[in-house]
Parts: sequence; structure tokens; C-alpha cells
Amino acid sequence: MPLPSSMFSKLVLPTMFVVLMAVTCSGQSTTGTVTMSATVSKFVEINSGGAVTLAGNSGGGVTTDGVVNTPLGVAINLGELGPSNTNSFVTASVPLKLRSNAPYVLSMSATVTSSGITASRIVSSDVGFGLGTVSRTGTGVNTGGSDTNATSGDPTLPANGSVNATSGRYEFTAVRSNLSAFSSATTALNGAIIMNAVPRSNGNGLIVPASFAIKPQFFENGTTTISVTFTVTAP
Amino acid sequence: MRLQYLTFSLTFVLLFMAFAQTTFGQALAISSGGQPTITGTVGGSVTGSASVTTDLIVTVNFGEVSPLNTNSIVKVTVPIGIRSNQPYQVTVSMTGLNNANVEALQASDVGFGVRNMRLLGGAGKICTQSNHIIRSPFDNDPATSATIAGNGRVAYPSSLGSLSGATIILSGPQLSKNNSSNRQQSDGYAFDAILALTPQFFASGVSSATLIFTISAGPNVPC
Repeated sequence: MPLPSSMFSKLVLPTMFVVLMAVTCSGQSTTGTVTMSATVSKFVEINSGGAVTLAGNSGGGVTTDGVVNTPLGVAINLGELGPSNTNSFVTASVPLKLRSNAPYVLSMSATVTSSGITASRIVSSDVGFGLGTVSRTGTGVNTGGSDTNATSGDPTLPANGSVNATSGRYEFTAVRSNLSAFSSATTALNGAIIMNAVPRSNGNGLIVPASFAIKPQFFENGTTTISVTFTVTAP
Repeated sequence: MRLQYLTFSLTFVLLFMAFAQTTFGQALAISSGGQPTITGTVGGSVTGSASVTTDLIVTVNFGEVSPLNTNSIVKVTVPIGIRSNQPYQVTVSMTGLNNANVEALQASDVGFGVRNMRLLGGAGKICTQSNHIIRSPFDNDPATSATIAGNGRVAYPSSLGSLSGATIILSGPQLSKNNSSNRQQSDGYAFDAILALTPQFFASGVSSATLIFTISAGPNVPC
């Protein structure tokens, strides 16, 4: 008894097709996929750029020094700031090291508290401040990046301060040249990406000295504490 | 009469199934080779099947690879199962990772190597006249062989940047003893595809890529 063609086309052929597809699909996968993704977030950091330099001091000293590539946390005793210190200025230079994979902003805030009670006590405007020359050097550093210094640089420069002809008090007069300009977080420096694609173990970065200066004067006697906080962000 | 038709049809189909298994059964196949793993990640993950009989579909999220990740390296191991009744080759091709910024993540920043070619089990074919060859430069574990290049960037003996089109990474003689139409637990080999990514000061952003592993007939080497 021959198999009717309708039977063959309606039952056998579809079954063969299904079987063929099943065999092919279940055992014949010749490709596989690995899909990958990774995230790079903005990253900035500030560390010590090295040892503090203290000059013009009478007494005092660096209590806690900076250690390169470690978190910034230095303590400085500026010593005597009255007229018995005959130096022109007491200065402290604190190297900062910044690193980022994005454009950055370095801001600073400062508080000055004194035991004095008169207008002749040391106040924030008596503390000169400025950022020095920015250095982008070393393997892995984006040496072509530019930076904008919002301060006036070395506060002891003649162009940045002078004796007030009326009061006789020495004043740091240039733009953002004393701590009164930083009573709240204020930009001191900003710039382009600092680091190229190198691992964190690379020790290089952007170095900039933060300079502080006080001119010894007939300040009201007492003790003064100056606290400065640097913050770097990637807006 | 209808019973006759049914019997005839079933017999025909059974014969066809036998033919199909012989003709199409597992000439070449690629699958998962086991559970993929990831180490050194911050916020990352890897998903894939631990079963060697399932398709190779793996999703890798390296997670954070900026310096926020303080681990020395993110390493992903993807076991891949392969089966064949003939000489074979495995190729890899890649799509994605087209960052224009050279300081962003590039293909050369993802180390890629092959290690640990091994039998899945007793149904794997042991050939004595030819070896399974991991093609140069991929015979390395990039996670343990990374170096610092002159520009300070991490370099690997082989990376995704070593891929050019469909690149042969592995070839060799027959892998399987049998011709089973279905994957079995032990009827082939497995190897580890290793991916490594060192966190660095990459330019920020999210990157993605897809690797396609393909097994095909390879150089005609004796078993």
C-alpha cells in the first residue's frame, strides 16, 4: 500500500523539518558571546607634594611635616610674630600634589582665630597667601594641560602688598592674596585633566606650592590659630 | 489502514532522525565551559551558566576601573567548552571599544589571553599526533604578566587590541570521541579565556564591547 502524497506532505515532511531543526539547534552552536562593559568615574585627589619649607621664623618649626604622596595634613608653628622677630616675613611653603582624570578645581577655605580682643590682633587679612608655579612633569602626567591660578602668587612680592599709608599696618592687597578672601570655599586653582591613562601606583602629578606669609608687626600679644582646608573637585 | 500509514511514517521519521544525528551531530560546537569568575572588581559582576551543556552567553561588568578601584587588577576568567569530530579552530572577533579619546579605555587596555586547555571528561578525544595550540600571542595570563610601558600605561602580552577581524586563538585535532547530537558533560575540551583590566586614570566614561567566539573547521592535522 503506497503512502498517499497528502499524508507525506502533511505529516512526514513537517516532522522531518522539526527533527532537523531540533538536531541542528541543540548540538550545533558554533558561536558564543561575551559582552563586556566598564565604568570610569571622575577621580580627583590631593596629597602632600613633599616637605614644608619654613623661613624667617623666630622659634617655632614644622610640627607635622608633609610626606610626599600621602594625605595632606601638616602642622606648622610660625613662632614669634611680634616685632622681636626682625625678619621681613615669616613664610611657610606647603607643596600640594593634585591628580585627576578630569578637569579639576582646587578650592580653599580658612579660619583665623586669635586670643586677642582688639583690632590689632592677628586677623585673616594679616595672613598672606598665594599659589606658586604649577608644575606638570613626569611620566603619565598630561604636560600639555593648562592651569589657571586665581591667586596672585607669592604674597611677599612687593606687588602683592605694602604698608598702609594711613594705618601703618602691612596689608596683602593683591587679588586673593590673603586669607580674608577664603573665609568660605573659594577657587584657588583650576585646570585641565592632570593624568594620562596610568595606574594609581604612578607617583607623578601636578605640584603647586601653597605659600603663607605673615609680616611681624606690633600685633596684640596672644596666640593665633590658622586653619586651612584644601579641597579638589571635578565638577 | 490508518495504522499502516502511521507505522510507515514513524519508521521513516526514525530513520531520518538517525541520519540527521549522523550527518549533523556536533560536528563543531562551542558552549559554556563552566562558571565564569571575576576578582578585583568594585561594583562589577560576571554572569554566565556553570553548565557545560549550555550556550556560551556571558556578560561581564568590570565595574569601576578608575583609581577609585584600588585593586591592582580586575580579572575575569571565562571557561569555554568546545567539541568537534574533526580538526578545529577557534576565532574571536570584537565589536565596540571605539573611544576616540586616546586617554579613554582602549582595546589595548584590556588584557586577553588563553590558558588551561583541558579535557571536559572521558568522552573527550585524546589525540597523540597533534597538539592543541594556543596561537601567539594569546598563550598567557594577562593578569599576571602585565607591565608598565614607557608612557606609564599598563601593557599586556596580548590584549583585545591584538584582535584583528576574526582572529584565530586556538586550533588542534578532533576534540570529541562521539557524535552525539546533544552536548554531554564530558565529550570535549574546555579552556579559559582570561580578561584583565588594570584600573587607571582613564578619561571618564562608560565603555562596552562584545566578543564573539566561533569554532570552525581548522587545519587538517592528524589525531
